Amino acid sequence: MNDWSRRAWSVTTGLALAVSLVAGGSLALAQSPAGSIAAGPSPAPTCTPLPPLADATASAASPGASPVVLTNLTVFAAASLNQPFSVMSQSWAAQHPGSELTFSFDASSALRAQIEEGAPADVFASADTRNPQALIDECLAPAPMVVFAANHLIIVVPTANPAGITSPADLATAGVRIVAAGDAVPITRYAEQLISNIAAQPGAPAGYADAIQANIVSREDNVSAVLAKVALGEGDAGIVYVSDATGADGVTAIPVPDDVNVLATYGAVEVATTSTPATSAAFLAYLMGAEGQAILAQYGFLPAQ
Amino acid sequence: MTASVPVVAGTRRRRRSSHHSVDLGPVGIVLSVVGLLFLGLPVAALLVRAVLGEQLLATASSKAVVDALILSLFTTLCSLVLIVVFGTPLALLLARRSFRGKWLADVLVDLPMILPPTVAGLALLLAFGVRGTLGTPLDALGFRIPFTTLAVVLAQTFVAAPLYIRSLRAGFASIDRTVEEAAQVDGASRLQLLTRVTLPLATPAVGAGLALAWARALGEFGATIMFAGNIEGRTQTLPLVVYSKFQTSLDASVAAAAVLVMAAFGVLVAVRLTRWRAGVDGRGMV
Repeated sequence: MNDWSRRAWSVTTGLALAVSLVAGGSLALAQSPAGSIAAGPSPAPTCTPLPPLADATASAASPGASPVVLTNLTVFAAASLNQPFSVMSQSWAAQHPGSELTFSFDASSALRAQIEEGAPADVFASADTRNPQALIDECLAPAPMVVFAANHLIIVVPTANPAGITSPADLATAGVRIVAAGDAVPITRYAEQLISNIAAQPGAPAGYADAIQANIVSREDNVSAVLAKVALGEGDAGIVYVSDATGADGVTAIPVPDDVNVLATYGAVEVATTSTPATSAAFLAYLMGAEGQAILAQYGFLPAQ
Repeated sequence: MTASVPVVAGTRRRRRSSHHSVDLGPVGIVLSVVGLLFLGLPVAALLVRAVLGEQLLATASSKAVVDALILSLFTTLCSLVLIVVFGTPLALLLARRSFRGKWLADVLVDLPMILPPTVAGLALLLAFGVRGTLGTPLDALGFRIPFTTLAVVLAQTFVAAPLYIRSLRAGFASIDRTVEEAAQVDGASRLQLLTRVTLPLATPAVGAGLALAWARALGEFGATIMFAGNIEGRTQTLPLVVYSKFQTSLDASVAAAAVLVMAAFGVLVAVRLTRWRAGVDGRGMV
């Protein structure tokens, strides 16, 4: 028994020594230049140079150029791009043998955070230009950003419309249960802009923005979750993108007047750590091309600009 | 989860005769029935919806659900291998030896079970992420763990290992030491003692621990989505499909959920069977 405990003690001491060695080593590495490649934002000029995007795009897009070997591509995309991108993945795979698209759909802000933590994305397609720009600023994505689509906002209510909502003004009625998205999610910033546009109009109800704020019963992870909760009748109304409401089951769309509506612009970037710059560039070119734009339009997206 | 119930090998709870139920009045019976309905209704609603859903078969065989099922089976199998390789000696150590700081080892083993899974995911990211304690030197060597299939395995291993280790620790502790001493007297080597006597006696605990750990790994969500993300076909396991498809296709979500309910149900039945058999076998041994 005594022998056992003595042996165990020496094992424990040895383990503790090993752990502290590993920890010390990692600290030393973290401070060395090699370890700091992906650590935190650094000034723009120090970004590792990557092949210029324009050249890669041209060579991948023009049929006469030397053949570019395309591989599988991981695309991190805003939740609102779920439907058009899923359709694109089929025609992409048909046109580009040997290359399949793999997706991760979530709020653009959540995806950006994942890329910052080292997620292996090749392309990041965001529902705004702020999140991709942040990656460019952090050297995690080479410039330039491709602005590939735009979207307007719309109000959705369950088909039964239990709160009897017919116009944006009704959102401020006391007791209306509004489903919104989290603070960092792009739709929330656009929706807040929309609400302040309405509140600034002559004849707007007094305290419009505050009344809406008070009616919010849930903050969802992303815009798809907002739509799903409204379609299930768990909320009386939600503000989503026009593209989300296009062809959605279980909801009725209440239009927002053009003069107060907000234009959401969608930006995409290649991610700096991509292992397949050529395929990433080819996908961005496809997105901007006739077919990519047609599929986006089919789901209610507007062309960029 | 019922998983926290320690499984003690070689014992069997004696069933009380039904005469003792007279101590439960009508109010007690009503409360019990309401309680049971509360526990059963959501699962029943899910299964009914799964059976009645018009497009259920189509969605259950859709690419996203099938991919997730394959990924879930593969990753949980890998997790179980890791758990057995590292957890078995650890359980033996905790059950048999006393050493300084053992209380800390016990707490560390139990901690992941108490931690909210999102906290586990964040902690894993801080340890193995590109800016993490171990992740930074690994990244310098070209290894990136977060948001990969390996990250899924590590997240599952982290949250599920305690269930296996606890079950096995209790199993080892309940083995009659005189049996082992007798084998030692008869000249059994340390390896023989372990493989011929100790482990066979702990088989029910191993089985129950494996089943519970597998169920926990299969159901892992919070740590996975934090540490491994939600990439289709690569890190999107069945519970993540339930979450993601809820937003776009409720039928697919229900289909994936029904698979998980049946797996959980199967595990609990398997654990009951193991305990029952342990009871039968144990009587002869002890």
